[in-house]
Amino acid sequence: MKKKPLSLAAIISSIFICISSMACILIQPDMSNIIPLWQIAIIIMVASIFFSALLYRNVPNNRIPWLAIDIAFELSMFVFIYIFQLNPDFIIQKPFGLSASFDIGIIMPMLLLATGIIGFKDSINILYHFSAKAQEIMVFSAIKLTAILALLALGGILFIIIYEGIWAINWEFLTTPHRRLGQSGGISTVIVGTFWMVLGAMIVSSPLGVGAAIFLNEYSKNARLNRILTIAISSLNGVPSVVFGLFGLAFLVTHFGVSLLSGSIILGLINIPTIILTNQEALKAVPNSLREGSMALGASKWQTIRRVVLPSAMPGILTGLIMGVAKASGETAPIMWIAVTFTATPVQMIHGIIPNIFQPVNNLDYHLLNLIYFLGAWDVWTKAWGTALVLIALVLGTNMLAVLVRNHYRKKISW
Amino acid sequence: MVLSQIGLQRRYSEKFVEILLFLSAITSIIVMLLIFYYLIHESMKAFATIGIFNLLFGQKWHPAGDIYGLLPLIVVALVVTVLALIFNIIIGVPLAIFLAELAGPRSRAVLKPSIELLAGVPSIVYGFLGIIFLVPYLQERFYMLTGRSILAGSILLGLMFIPYITTICEDALRAVPSEFKEGSLALGANRWQTIRYVTIPAASSGITAAIILNVGSIIGETMAVLLVVGNVARIPSPIINVFTQGATFTSVIAGEMGEVAQGSLHYHVLFAVGFVLLIFVTVLNVIADLAKTKIRRKFGGY
Repeated sequence: MKKKPLSLAAIISSIFICISSMACILIQPDMSNIIPLWQIAIIIMVASIFFSALLYRNVPNNRIPWLAIDIAFELSMFVFIYIFQLNPDFIIQKPFGLSASFDIGIIMPMLLLATGIIGFKDSINILYHFSAKAQEIMVFSAIKLTAILALLALGGILFIIIYEGIWAINWEFLTTPHRRLGQSGGISTVIVGTFWMVLGAMIVSSPLGVGAAIFLNEYSKNARLNRILTIAISSLNGVPSVVFGLFGLAFLVTHFGVSLLSGSIILGLINIPTIILTNQEALKAVPNSLREGSMALGASKWQTIRRVVLPSAMPGILTGLIMGVAKASGETAPIMWIAVTFTATPVQMIHGIIPNIFQPVNNLDYHLLNLIYFLGAWDVWTKAWGTALVLIALVLGTNMLAVLVRNHYRKKISW
Repeated sequence: MVLSQIGLQRRYSEKFVEILLFLSAITSIIVMLLIFYYLIHESMKAFATIGIFNLLFGQKWHPAGDIYGLLPLIVVALVVTVLALIFNIIIGVPLAIFLAELAGPRSRAVLKPSIELLAGVPSIVYGFLGIIFLVPYLQERFYMLTGRSILAGSILLGLMFIPYITTICEDALRAVPSEFKEGSLALGANRWQTIRYVTIPAASSGITAAIILNVGSIIGETMAVLLVVGNVARIPSPIINVFTQGATFTSVIAGEMGEVAQGSLHYHVLFAVGFVLLIFVTVLNVIADLAKTKIRRKFGGY
């Protein structure tokens, strides 16, 4: 146990090198202050690895050359850092015909990251006598590090949108239409247009999706038909959204023009596989004893489905429909040419309640796309962040609702 | 008499409902056929005018001169997809292993739904963030002419689809019966050895299906790529030069369809691009589907 501090010092210094070099790659600070620290850390790491290997005497003979190479690499890094320090303007100009150049700011942290990883590997190996345990610790720490980085990146995306977008959100932004190419005003027509289009999509897709799921799960006996249907559904699920856009352009725009109706139909068709797949899960979860009980009481098949199966599967079906709403609100590519316009267009109402389905509308995704195109030319920065925040809030809000519905009923229902 | 009439009525309404449900079930097939019909119909003219071989393997994409060859798009789409898939797997699979095997029940209960939520972030938002953060970063860091590049597209796509690959891989890993793992642990293997030699091989078909599905999604993703990839359709030279601009199937369609005259050759060529993309993605999907069926046959319940 007395020899532990040496390995501990090596591990700590290697972790320091890894984390600081990764941070340097990402945020590109002025590195002159960190370089001496790196030099000290490398010296500590190499010395403690070397002496712990000598003291422990547990390095297998076939590993000794590798260990020597690692230590030589780490020492050469020390020398490299020293040389780089003398030529801070060193740069590799467009190697191999690549259209990029690599300066010290990227080369040095990369090499240091490699050094840190190698040092970490050696020190863990020596500490755990090159056993399987050492391997396990190395792999698990790599996995945990990756997981933490991924979660930070994904969480950072949400954070930055909320942080930047919150300043654009106020009552005026949400209740007035945009003016002067989105530079002033708000996004009221955009929100209303999105609402009607998603509602239309749900009107198209819910009966078809739920019906198909019921047929597949309750009626269909023919294995071959089932197989074909499953393949068709999964291929439809995989059709790229831009291809749906082309399809709509060729199929719907010729009949209905650029209109709310075309957009709703296409978004509805995109939604169908999502709804079928989630609803099938919900129907499968209903135990057969319920169906058999109802049938035994003399109920017909449809009566059983309507009175017994559907009510029990309702939470799952609702979850699927809500997820469909989220999916339909997040699509841009399929509606770009077939349903939307950038000019502020309020949805006209016929008799006060029915929207005019043959007019183009505004849409959140398309609005954001246009604002992105205008970013360099006009002052739309805050408006773009605000639009992104509203869009994210809409999509994630509906998704969260779906998760809540699912969890709420999962606790409540027990068969 | 009355009873039998009620029975007859009931039988008819039962039959009627069944037919309605059947019709809604075959909608997917009809829609799929309609998509194929309209894409073939609209792209026919392009294939007839330019010739199938010239269109697919032409080396120049130059709409102003009515010269169309898909090779630049195919090459860049493949490079983007492969690179994005590498980023995606390097980060997504360890995250899945973390969630399935290492995370405690409480952190899992928080992390899993949050990752599923993130799968819903619209691609246009990723494109927006890519334009604001990723593109300037790459441009400064690597002294590039413009940060809009194949690399930017790949990084963005790789990040975007992490939630997808993670959820599917995690499901596959968790579906491995615990008897397998317990047996391995009882033989004295440690947890990493168990994961590596038992869990991952048993879940490999699920992981493969997840990766194939992700290839389809990555190659079909539009808005994020459109915004960051640069939209200059040429073959990068040398071919590993990911620091230059490129154009993929989707970015060309989305970027150029808004401006072409309906019925022009360019319009039909863009449909042909969409058709090639559709064929590619559909084949991948059918393969993923077969892979899934194979797992079910191989391992029974999962």
